[in-house]
Amino acid sequence: MNIALALSPLLVVALGALLLMLAEAFSPRQGGLALGAATVLFVGAAVAGGVWMYGIERLPEAASLAPWLLLDRFGLFFDMLLCLGGGLAALLAGGYLVEHGIERGEFYVLILFATLGAMILASSGDAVTLFLGLETMSLGAYAMTAFRRASPRAAEGALKYFLLGSFAAAILIYGFALLYGATGHTDLAGIGATAATARTPLLVVGAVLVIVGVAFKVSAVPFHAWTPDAYEGAPTPATTFMAVAVKAGAFALLLRVLLIALGDASWTSWAAGWPPVVATLAVLTMTVANLIAGRQESVKRMLAYSSIAHAGYALVGVTALMRDPTQAGASVLFYLLSYTVSTAGAFGALILCGSHGREAVSYEDLSGLGRRHPAAALAFSLFLLSLAGIPPTAGFFGKWFVFKAAIDGGLYWLAILGFVNSVIGAYYYLRVMVYMYMREPAAGAPVALPMRSGYVTAALLVSALFVLALGLVPTRAIEVAVRAATLGAG
Amino acid sequence: MSLASCLLLAAALFCVGLYGLLARRQIVAILLSIELMANAANLVFVAFGHYRGGALGQVFAVFSIALTVAEVAVGLALAMLLYRRHGDSRVELASEMKR
Amino acid sequence: MIATYAPLFMLLFFAAFLASVFYVAATFLGGQKKPNPGKQAPFECGSESSGGRHLKLSVKFYLTAILFVVFDIEAVFVYPWAIHFRALGWLGLAEMLGFLAVLVVALVYVWRKGALEWET
Repeated sequence: MNIALALSPLLVVALGALLLMLAEAFSPRQGGLALGAATVLFVGAAVAGGVWMYGIERLPEAASLAPWLLLDRFGLFFDMLLCLGGGLAALLAGGYLVEHGIERGEFYVLILFATLGAMILASSGDAVTLFLGLETMSLGAYAMTAFRRASPRAAEGALKYFLLGSFAAAILIYGFALLYGATGHTDLAGIGATAATARTPLLVVGAVLVIVGVAFKVSAVPFHAWTPDAYEGAPTPATTFMAVAVKAGAFALLLRVLLIALGDASWTSWAAGWPPVVATLAVLTMTVANLIAGRQESVKRMLAYSSIAHAGYALVGVTALMRDPTQAGASVLFYLLSYTVSTAGAFGALILCGSHGREAVSYEDLSGLGRRHPAAALAFSLFLLSLAGIPPTAGFFGKWFVFKAAIDGGLYWLAILGFVNSVIGAYYYLRVMVYMYMREPAAGAPVALPMRSGYVTAALLVSALFVLALGLVPTRAIEVAVRAATLGAG
Repeated sequence: MSLASCLLLAAALFCVGLYGLLARRQIVAILLSIELMANAANLVFVAFGHYRGGALGQVFAVFSIALTVAEVAVGLALAMLLYRRHGDSRVELASEMKR
Repeated sequence: MIATYAPLFMLLFFAAFLASVFYVAATFLGGQKKPNPGKQAPFECGSESSGGRHLKLSVKFYLTAILFVVFDIEAVFVYPWAIHFRALGWLGLAEMLGFLAVLVVALVYVWRKGALEWET
């Protein structure tokens, strides 16, 4: 029975998804599915938290699933994070889909299955389960992107996302095929053991292909071309899900690959390993995304570029894995947590600002919001401040820990570049606030009215609670992140 | 058939797929190219599986085939979406958004 | 140090070379386009072609075909189990039943959504 307990977070979400799918097929009316999906995911997060408290180490049977599923604290942390992100996206969808007339129950089923895929991805220690989780997650995300079937933008975004996503998947499995050829293993630990002793050309080519494939999935520059269009074309709750859960799942994959398969000292050295590659990706991602984000006229597209930039900050922490895997890994995990709640909140606030089929899209749509709807503007401001990294919000400590990990690792220049970039980034976040509080809409211009939805309000409250809690007392969360990042112990 | 010739064939398949992905404009043709690339990887898995012994390579290939089919089903659905709108399914039709 | 990476660069060079050869060869080999009505007509074994170029197929063919392929491919997981049926024992049976149960849920969903109705 212990094995069922160890697997319970995955089982809860899987069974919930199947039940919801049946409910969707048999119930004549679709109401309540949003609540169902959010409940399943929050229960999943709570169950993962329960297993965490009980201690996965006390469930010896969990190890019998290795290497297919590594049921460790790292996986449990991501279970909690992904269920939280997915649950927030489901709540937002509950308000958004009704308001914009595309309410169909499949959306919630897709969220559940995609979250399940991301959870499998985060727990996988073998190329087979890894690919299985990756595809389950991605297929759900592709379908969600195209969900508004009448919109040409949705079809276009979904198509670009699909073509580049499956291209990346093909590169990834070709890379794993070469790694298998070089080492005789498909499990990450086995690859790591052989990679530590002998470095063959086949191994190097395979590792490069795997890193490129993952870079597509985390949308690091220069592999980001699909991101803005997919994020803009998708219905906003789907954008939230992609920015939050899909990105976190991809980072879990990156961390597992770099720490387990390429974690040997010969691969983590600056002279002959992956750190310069990841550092280059980090610098390019932060800088390019920030420069383009500042020029956007659409707030949704700006947030899309902002999510790319945030992947860059997280990659700064990933680079620092070369010196202190636990400390730097913990900083990345904490960063992902703070980024998840801030981004879900920001997209949620954007959703809140539109109603009756008219979305708030441009900066002008938001002008004067501070006077017209102070509560909505206040919530939006909180999440923007967190994304900009201004205390006392979660985003501040997220950036703090990541840059501190880089400094501790001797990567001063990387930390400085990251800091400069967050100052640039603050410009376009604050620009939204300037429009909300200091501009008035042009006379006669149509203004978007905030919607009234209990679901969206609940999602914003949960996000705001996390943003403030992580910003005021981050110590507990950072302890959890440090325990989660101690790979190999569980 | 030697391992080297299998790997060379797989590399050539991968390159043909990559070329098709970049050069072809029909979405169905692009899907075929992606299939070629994925199958090149499967071929590498099976070839190395045979060379090293054991079932691991074949297991991965079986999973990979099933997953790629699911992927293509979604891809065709997206191509359908575009076709219904424009009566054609070339990628240029999906270029309304600006960089 | 450099020598370690030489095969990598060779592979990249080879890939780039092959791709450019395809491009260049395509313009030389297939470049001479001198269309005439005879060439433009679709080839149908010498007989006169009839009907338009765009054959309209009903969407229901597509949907049924895709559903068939998706469910059909899952049989690939059943064969290895069937071969080692005895060796895998009761646990294997239970796992296969679980796998099939998930597929049945998907089938029920498809059926309830009316995707299996031929005449609508």
